[in-house]
Amino acid sequence: MLKVTDLRKEFAAVVAVDGVSFEAGNGEVFGLIGPNGAGKTTTIRMILNILVPDGGTVTYDGRGFSDEVRNHIGYLPEERGLYRKSKLLDTIVYFAGLRGMKRAAAKTEALRWLGRFSLEAYRDRKVEELSKGNQQKVQFICAIIHDPSIVILDEPFSGLDPVNQIVFKDIFHELRAAGKTVIFSTHQMDQAEKLSDTLCLINRGRVVLGGTVRDVKRRYGTNSLHVEFSGDGAFMSALPGVRRALLYANAAELELETGATIQTMIGAMNGRIAITKFELVEPSLQSIFIQTVGDSNAAAPPAEAA
Amino acid sequence: MITKVVSVARWEYLEKVKSKAFLIGLFLTPILMVGLGVVPTLLITRADTRTKIIGVIDPSGAIVTPLADLVQARYRLADGSPNYVIRPLAVGPAADVQSAAAEADRETGSGEIEGYCLLGPAAEADSAVEYRSKSVGDIQLVENLQQAIRIVLSERKGLSMGLDMSVIRALNVKVDMKQVKLSKTGEKEDSGFLQVFFTAYVFLFMLFLLIVTSGQLLVRSILEEKSNRIVEVLVSSCSSTELMAGKVLGLSALGFTQMGFWGLIGVIASLSFGVVLVTPGIAALLVVYFVLGYLFYAAVFIGAGSPLTTEQEAQQVTSYLVMVLVVPIALAFPAMQNPDATWLRVLTFIPFLTPTMMALRIPIQMPSLWEILATILLMVVSIFIAMVAAGRIFRIAILSTGKSPKLAEIFRWAKEG
Repeated sequence: MLKVTDLRKEFAAVVAVDGVSFEAGNGEVFGLIGPNGAGKTTTIRMILNILVPDGGTVTYDGRGFSDEVRNHIGYLPEERGLYRKSKLLDTIVYFAGLRGMKRAAAKTEALRWLGRFSLEAYRDRKVEELSKGNQQKVQFICAIIHDPSIVILDEPFSGLDPVNQIVFKDIFHELRAAGKTVIFSTHQMDQAEKLSDTLCLINRGRVVLGGTVRDVKRRYGTNSLHVEFSGDGAFMSALPGVRRALLYANAAELELETGATIQTMIGAMNGRIAITKFELVEPSLQSIFIQTVGDSNAAAPPAEAA
Repeated sequence: MITKVVSVARWEYLEKVKSKAFLIGLFLTPILMVGLGVVPTLLITRADTRTKIIGVIDPSGAIVTPLADLVQARYRLADGSPNYVIRPLAVGPAADVQSAAAEADRETGSGEIEGYCLLGPAAEADSAVEYRSKSVGDIQLVENLQQAIRIVLSERKGLSMGLDMSVIRALNVKVDMKQVKLSKTGEKEDSGFLQVFFTAYVFLFMLFLLIVTSGQLLVRSILEEKSNRIVEVLVSSCSSTELMAGKVLGLSALGFTQMGFWGLIGVIASLSFGVVLVTPGIAALLVVYFVLGYLFYAAVFIGAGSPLTTEQEAQQVTSYLVMVLVVPIALAFPAMQNPDATWLRVLTFIPFLTPTMMALRIPIQMPSLWEILATILLMVVSIFIAMVAAGRIFRIAILSTGKSPKLAEIFRWAKEG
């Protein structure tokens, strides 16, 4: 279990994290979401004790940070994080050792994980000889090999092909089933929606939305219209009764104003596009995200931060 | 705590020991040492194995014959055949010196003769003599020839002054000066200038390369860890103190590997060639300074290297440190001429120079005991201070990316932590 209370961090003139609090329980997948530069990575770095917070506390299974706690945390950094010239197996065994694992045990586990990711053949290859996706897998092994109780993954899906995304997702579920606390950050809302039990949306260093995915969506009510169609749907964003429209090539998600009825909507669309699916649904996280974040950021786009 | 330090140390050692830069340094250095130091020395002092033909242009006509006799009698090869043969090229006042010289130039160029002597027109005067050859570095030949000509000339002068030949012979005393190095206590040490110089140079160069090789490896690896964000994984796994301690330990092991390997080569070389550069006592003292210097510079490289973010900056900083390390190499000559100079002592007490200055001074003349004890104490204190400062800089700097911090900022980290 990980509990973050009123975490603060300032850099020079910018308040990167401003009073962030959340709690991720055991056996829970927790999504830390937000646009680029929202303060996700800074928050994660403070949780990992890489950065010292200017204020607030973090507890790990009820305890404060200590050298002992380090061995129970697993971490996947946002990008790279491997020695390019070193061999796969050596690298994994080294990182496992730094988390307190014995070398023999680390080697056995490393081989098991390499097998699971079909990388056994590469055990003595150099990291730089691997594809980006395979490097990401090695990085992932390094984060979980020592059986940590808290796993923190910064943008774990970037650079992964769909097949490997499924492999990762399976392991997410296994970790959850084993009672681990899994915290991952992403700016891809569909992933957060599918994967997380609980989430926390950060924007400009503040928590703007939090709770279980169910709660969050329920809060926004069932006033979204999901339409699939063929034809040019550009006109939909200007339809009367539509507060906001998310347009894709062959689908649209329309947030309706109170009072707008399905009948009037169908009537307005009829003849202009060929409708293949028409459904009244809860809004997607993507739509909620844009509702919550979009307007406030449109005026001043956030600075890009690592 | 300790297990993580050992993990880091093992990793740093094994990954670097396999690196090309380290292996090249390990094998290339002894080869370079031999190439730069031993070979020219051997070539200069080596006895000839074949007879060399030396041309002589003698406008006076009186020198060449006695010179040829003298040289033939005086210098012999190991097998008994003459070392030099004098070939008269143009003799007497009638000779055309210019065309003879032109012809001799050609013969020298083609290797027909080793070189030739151009004597002055008057046999009795203190004459300027020219020796022309392709290799002016043949010290032995020039010295022998010079001596022979001097003898011939002084014999002629003596005879013209009415001296008896036996008197002249008696006046021609041959002096063979052998250099003997005295230690502080007045004991004789049987080593010539070249050997002392070479010894000091070898140890200085070894220490220099030892520090530079591992310093560069260290800075480069910190740079990679920073740019690849490996450092985030490291710092979340263990404390920065453990990380730095591990790096220093791994690096030291690397240094000992290098020293051990070179030492082994040195021992083998001295056993097989019968050349003993230093006594075991001096070697042990040098090792002490090597270790102290190595640790001090490990801290310096960590402190100077961890704030860097680009390869260019790393090269720049490394080259500054190299310059500091090179100082004693530039001072090798004056230090040999005057090993007691005050300025040498003063420089020895600057921690950045202490190890290298000592590596230079010890083979030349053993510094006094108080100097040795004081510098060792100085280095121990300096290492302690440097490590603490480097640790403070490391802890903050290792996580900073993007723009490199300003110098003032780094000093503040070092002071306040």
